Amino acid sequence: MNQTYAVAAVACVVLATVLIGALGLRISRTTSDFYVASRTVNPGLNAAAISGEYLSAASFLGIAGLVLLQGPDMLWYPVGYTAGYLVLLVLVAAPLRRSGAYTLSDFAEARLESPAVRRLASLFVVGVGWLYLLPQLQGAGLTLEILTGAPDWFGGVLVAVVVTGAVAAGGMRSITFVQAFQYWLKLTALLVPALFLLAAWAGDDAPRARFDAPAVLRQHTEVRVDDTVRIDLDAPLSVAVAGTVDGIRHEGRQTTLEEGTHRVESGTTLTFPPGADIPERASTGADPAGWSQPLAGGGDGYQLYATYGLILATFLGTMGLPHVAVRFYTSPNGRAARRTTLVVLGLIGAFYLLPPVYGALGRIYAPELALTGDADAAVLVLPERMVGGLTGDLLGALLAGGAFAAFLSTASGLTISVAGVLTQDVLPSRGVRHFRLATVLAMAVPLAVSLVAADVPVADAVGLAFAVSASSFCPLLVLGIWWRRLTPPGAAAGLVTGGGTALTAVMATRAGLAPEGWPHTLMAWPAVWSVPLGFLTMILVSLVTPRHTPPGAAAILTRLHLPEDLAARPPCEGARR
Amino acid sequence: MTSAAQPPRREVVTGVPRGTRRRPGHAPARPETDEQTPAGAVHVRSLMRSQLRAALYALGTLVLLVGTLPLLFVLPAAVLGSFSPSAPFVWAVLGAGVYPLMWLTARRYVRRAERNEEDFTGLVEGR
Amino acid sequence: MTGTALAALGAAAAALLAAGFALGRVTARRAAGSGPDPGTPVERATFHTLHTASLAAPPLRAGLTEDTARKAARPLRSLLGTRALCLTDRVTVLAWDGIGADHHRERVMHRVGDVLESGRSQSVRTGCDDPECPLRWAVIAPLTGEEGVLGTLVAYGPGESAVLVRAATEVARWVSVQLELAELDCSRTRLIEAEIRALRAQISPHFIFNSLAAIASFVRTDPERARELLLEFADFTRYSFRRHGDFTHLADELRCIEQYLALAGARFGDRLKVTLQIAPEVLPVALPFLCLQPLVENAVKHGMEDAGRVCRVSISARDAGSEAVVTIEDDGVGMDPAELRRILAREADHSSGIGLSNVDERLRQVYGDDHGLVIETGVGAGMKITVRIPKYRAGVHSQPGGS
Repeated sequence: MNQTYAVAAVACVVLATVLIGALGLRISRTTSDFYVASRTVNPGLNAAAISGEYLSAASFLGIAGLVLLQGPDMLWYPVGYTAGYLVLLVLVAAPLRRSGAYTLSDFAEARLESPAVRRLASLFVVGVGWLYLLPQLQGAGLTLEILTGAPDWFGGVLVAVVVTGAVAAGGMRSITFVQAFQYWLKLTALLVPALFLLAAWAGDDAPRARFDAPAVLRQHTEVRVDDTVRIDLDAPLSVAVAGTVDGIRHEGRQTTLEEGTHRVESGTTLTFPPGADIPERASTGADPAGWSQPLAGGGDGYQLYATYGLILATFLGTMGLPHVAVRFYTSPNGRAARRTTLVVLGLIGAFYLLPPVYGALGRIYAPELALTGDADAAVLVLPERMVGGLTGDLLGALLAGGAFAAFLSTASGLTISVAGVLTQDVLPSRGVRHFRLATVLAMAVPLAVSLVAADVPVADAVGLAFAVSASSFCPLLVLGIWWRRLTPPGAAAGLVTGGGTALTAVMATRAGLAPEGWPHTLMAWPAVWSVPLGFLTMILVSLVTPRHTPPGAAAILTRLHLPEDLAARPPCEGARR
Repeated sequence: MTSAAQPPRREVVTGVPRGTRRRPGHAPARPETDEQTPAGAVHVRSLMRSQLRAALYALGTLVLLVGTLPLLFVLPAAVLGSFSPSAPFVWAVLGAGVYPLMWLTARRYVRRAERNEEDFTGLVEGR
Repeated sequence: MTGTALAALGAAAAALLAAGFALGRVTARRAAGSGPDPGTPVERATFHTLHTASLAAPPLRAGLTEDTARKAARPLRSLLGTRALCLTDRVTVLAWDGIGADHHRERVMHRVGDVLESGRSQSVRTGCDDPECPLRWAVIAPLTGEEGVLGTLVAYGPGESAVLVRAATEVARWVSVQLELAELDCSRTRLIEAEIRALRAQISPHFIFNSLAAIASFVRTDPERARELLLEFADFTRYSFRRHGDFTHLADELRCIEQYLALAGARFGDRLKVTLQIAPEVLPVALPFLCLQPLVENAVKHGMEDAGRVCRVSISARDAGSEAVVTIEDDGVGMDPAELRRILAREADHSSGIGLSNVDERLRQVYGDDHGLVIETGVGAGMKITVRIPKYRAGVHSQPGGS
């Protein structure tokens, strides 16, 4: 891959982001176009901004990688990410806007009139935000490593520096235009190469991707294993090995590996003849390979359960993501918020048609990525493999730019919303300087974790963030909007129980504490039981503490559900006495 | 540029603190307890009910169309033994088919919710 | 090994569950304020009484309504130790706590008439037909406010008891004090609202006069422009004089500024250059009504003071996380910082300073002292005013104009 083009593309994306952030205000110099400048954001622009912020690197790179590894079952991820917006639309969108809340903690305070619940919600906002930032930084590291050979920490640091610099220096004066630009950039960056790749695929007699059998290498391939892996062989494999396999040093001679599990040390190069089957990576409890945990857990029952775990987490978790909630504030009213969400559904639905294409093509043309653990790079290496030449380099550069846009947009959105909560609820005093401090803090923690814990399997933090959000904020939002009798103690108990158990379960699984079999599956996919648990706790504790129903609950629910033009009327007289 | 062309220096001026008469963060000029009249409350409840119905209808559609798919993919294999849905079918459904369905469900919901609000406005104004 | 891990996890989950419930209960208890209570029986009784009274006080501080009466009735009854207690206003029964609601409740209003009129406590026979019913006697005590008797407190007992009469009267008096405090709260709120209304209605008569004069000058030469300006003027005054709602959207406030600038532009022509930079995401921010327009008016005034020169005013609103930052800058004559300080402290009066101190005060009133105006100025150095508006603040909801 031509590094110069890729580096230039990444630099362009960074530059454009900073410039649009600093200058992307509506500027008018004559009074006649004041009206245009002061008009509220229309649903189209706002929806592009929401989609731009939402489509993270997990969508841009991760889905294709997962499909390459695991096959079409992984398509549940994009389906879930999209359906999350449908659930958000029908249950939350308009009332959330009408509450006037900017962050989810604002909503908790507005609905429950309790500073204690507000602080608790803030903790969860910051926690979920950090969980979600972590993989963005790690993914950036991986991308730059593949593109330029830079050390794996460099990409994360670059994203952190660009985002913190732009936000803290007051550069992000208007993030709406930045995010809208990033959406269209990401869509273009994925769509244009996809067309070229499909043309190349058709020109290659359209081979079918096989997911039910080991992938077959089409040509003589050298695979360098960067991280030590264990491979499972169903049949003896003839391969040239330069490095260490099963503790025995080989010097590039042809070797035959017997059936069973083999351990390939890092730095080993395996050279496969054309037509060879790519061996499967042996599954381990904690697999750092993907963005999100694969669904396959053995038997059908496990897989079905895992699929439903994924569905629940993504369908219900989207509404509780910190950077999603804050964008609704930009809509002028509840009705616009609904229409905006409808456009968002269209935009992200259109986007998600593309990653599976890369996944399928990757399975055909770059199957060895499954072995090296760099499956997420499938999107980036395909143009070079399939198209080649200058066109391939340029397309690769476009994809690199798009991937970087994905890191930047999600990371900046998350940083701003986390920093907002930090300034309001965590740091002692308020002011512009404190917002800068909060921005640095919001980015520093996940960056430090991603640097320190580079080898710990934190890559599926996205899935974890969704599960925690679904078990904590989903009950809070849904009950807060639709149920009069929710009380602050109930909300607090539900947040802690639902979100806490989901977090504990997944963390325990990742730390390897979960026993094999059903307990492992149950804990790896907690949403199926932790979401109902969160709802149940909130409802039960609210029912035992009826005296703590906030005095203004009826008035607040009225405001959440009444169209703004009606709510604007002076309240009816004689209401209070 | 000469020093004479530079504008005179500015100084930062702020007002006098109001003291602790009011805590920041809790100064609602219009208290939250502005209740509607009982008749208004009944109307609002009916609006909430109709909006909830619309939402549950859309959610039901989602569960029925998308939520049952995993079962659909697994059940035939469990019942008939070796049969499993063909890969192209899974690809077509999950890769493309569900998106238009979800969008149409959403659009239907948005229309219904807006109609509910219009009906409600009409009801209140016709009073 | 797996068994141990499973057990550990189960324990952890159980502990977390318990912690969740405990947190909920603790939050629930905190308001109730109960705690460990070692002490003599007398101390305990005193504490119990005070605690019970403290439970009844918060609802009563919101005034006498069905809702507050219902919440207050139980602690009041336990304070008196009677089998049944009833709170009424002048017309109807507000709340009944204890036994006998089925057949006594509807009779209460017939018996309290005398007390409502006289304002004196009475002890009367209930005349209950049910021999099993322990509610034989009722003590009716008046609840008074500033405007006379607001309602009654009725305590039921098995026989005539001077102690009950005395106790009920005292409790009724205590309730009356709470109700008077409630009235006081209410009038204080009204006072603050009136203050805000008075503050914001300070549209300068000069502006009205000058605008009309500028419009008049176009009537013959450019009737179409005169018509447009007149419409702008109508919109501007409608917005400024609107009655309901203390808060507005930044978008609406900007529209008002736009109308103001159109009118000012008609007067000053090309001498006024305005630049507007708006981050669209802050347009829905709710903020106190008419709190930016006076600042723009101030900037224009400062810029126009020096007759021969072109004045540049730039207005920007940008996004800063959980706040919107609005700045209004002019390159006009500026102001002496010391004098400005006096104006903001309301120690000096200055025609162009009224708007500033008014806005500063309202911002501090609504958002607290951290959110007052920050003004950078010097004589001949122009002026830059910065306002930080939180995107969300409890109780601040914009009400769009129009109706």
